Amino acid sequence: MIRTLRRSWPGVPWVVPTVVLLLALTIYPLVYSVKVSFTGPAGFSLANYARLLQDRLFLQAMAQTLLYTVVALAIEFALGFALALLVDSLGRGRAFVRAGLLAPMLLPPVVVAIIWRLIYNPQFGVLNGTLRNLGIHTSALTWASGERGALASVILVDVWEWTPFLFLLLSAGLQALPQEPLEAARMDGASPWQVFRDIVLPLLKPVMTLVILLRTMDLLRIFDQIFILTQGGPGFATETVSLYIYRTAFRFFNFGYASAMSFLALGLTIVFARSLMRLMRVSR
Amino acid sequence: MNSTVKYALALLALAAAVAPIYWLVTISIKRDIDQFAVPPLWIHFQPTVRHYVESFRGGNLARSLWNSTFVASLSTLLAMLLGVPAAYGLERLRWPRDWSRKIGFWILSTRMLPPIATIVPLFLMLRRAGLLNSRPGLILVYTAFNLPFVVWMMQGFFREIPRELEEAAMMDGDSRLGTLMRVVLPVAKPGLAATVVFCLIVAWNEFLFALILTQTTTSTTLPVAIASRVTQYEIRWGAMSAAGIVAMIPVLVFAGLAQRYLVRGMSLGAVKG
Repeated sequence: MIRTLRRSWPGVPWVVPTVVLLLALTIYPLVYSVKVSFTGPAGFSLANYARLLQDRLFLQAMAQTLLYTVVALAIEFALGFALALLVDSLGRGRAFVRAGLLAPMLLPPVVVAIIWRLIYNPQFGVLNGTLRNLGIHTSALTWASGERGALASVILVDVWEWTPFLFLLLSAGLQALPQEPLEAARMDGASPWQVFRDIVLPLLKPVMTLVILLRTMDLLRIFDQIFILTQGGPGFATETVSLYIYRTAFRFFNFGYASAMSFLALGLTIVFARSLMRLMRVSR
Repeated sequence: MNSTVKYALALLALAAAVAPIYWLVTISIKRDIDQFAVPPLWIHFQPTVRHYVESFRGGNLARSLWNSTFVASLSTLLAMLLGVPAAYGLERLRWPRDWSRKIGFWILSTRMLPPIATIVPLFLMLRRAGLLNSRPGLILVYTAFNLPFVVWMMQGFFREIPRELEEAAMMDGDSRLGTLMRVVLPVAKPGLAATVVFCLIVAWNEFLFALILTQTTTSTTLPVAIASRVTQYEIRWGAMSAAGIVAMIPVLVFAGLAQRYLVRGMSLGAVKG
């Protein structure tokens, strides 16, 4: 038995440690939390899932997460693409601009949150300080600490932090474009807009799909920055799915219900992950 | 678009990206009375190192700085030790049918799991094993978190090395492991270095796992230690900013070192950079 294994599966010993560790620390926990989510006070129970459907707060957190994801992604993509095109067309100083633009996405999320607390603070923040200096009344401008502007404010933080990511990958995509079709089209008298629409965009499609999927998966699980900036508040204004799960598990110690919610979140992510994998297989 | 407009727009974008970071730097070296000045002081203020001294006094920040360093380094080392052979095995050894691809994708798929989906059971498991609020527990979790990334990245780097190199070495009687150590790894050095750097950055920046799995001041990492000082009521802005700068500098240095591989690292190698 061992002989045939060694002959036809010579790679197995190389991957066993990795596979075992991943089974123990990602797959087993998942299975374990399935169990927890189906366990009630008296054994097997569907109560956690039934509760999920009636939980207004969970639905609100879900809706806000989706809104956050869609709005942030749209702005980041548009801005990142525009910046990629702009910087790509620069001559001197391109490397310098590029390096500076990338800085925000590299920072630890906790640092990003601190920075924006310094900016948004209604009394002492630099944003209202600057506005006041320009003669604008700032008493109504509460940014992340007011119920109405909070979600928009945390979205702006996300845009600041992650537009560089879209910029980075899209400009890499632009630089990797084959030059022949572009030149051929220009020789045939195509306008810059036509070249962009009919050649650049279709060629860039795999990269665009990839960054959208990577970003969507990250946005759906957003936690760190919001946790430090607003703790989901004020009230429930910036609560997301991850924050709500965190609260349920580690503030109210309802592990079963938290697990049930995380499955729903997981289901959502898997849908995206699968398309992402298919895409990566294609692009190789 | 003429080039003056282009440069003006580029500078505007640059300012938007960098000014907030610069503001953090100034707050960390401003005296308290200058921090809230209207109009805001961007350049003309008297610098002080007081906040840096203050934030390290008491030892908690120094302790968490050491914890972060320890956890990030050891988890990266472990992930490399496990992941590099796995990548090599998947890429270069014979596998029946397309099993190497299947296993590779399964490994990568574990990376796609949102941390919040596994954090509850991990918390319960570590608590039962007595590894809650300990650095070994967090190191294990970070190793598992970075492992898929290591395998995926290194597979990409190994793929670019011509097979002839290894065949020559094996002809000379070297074993597979010997070939990997003596022939392949030296050639793959830049790739190894880039992968190490990305693992370090991820472990250094990570927040959610550390928040839940290390809740004591003696075990927790820098991001959590900093976040726990950011209370809504009493904020010592200078000290908080100084701590943020300390957390930020290693990351920017590392990213600078791995600049060439930034695209590949950030896209899991799907966009070659």
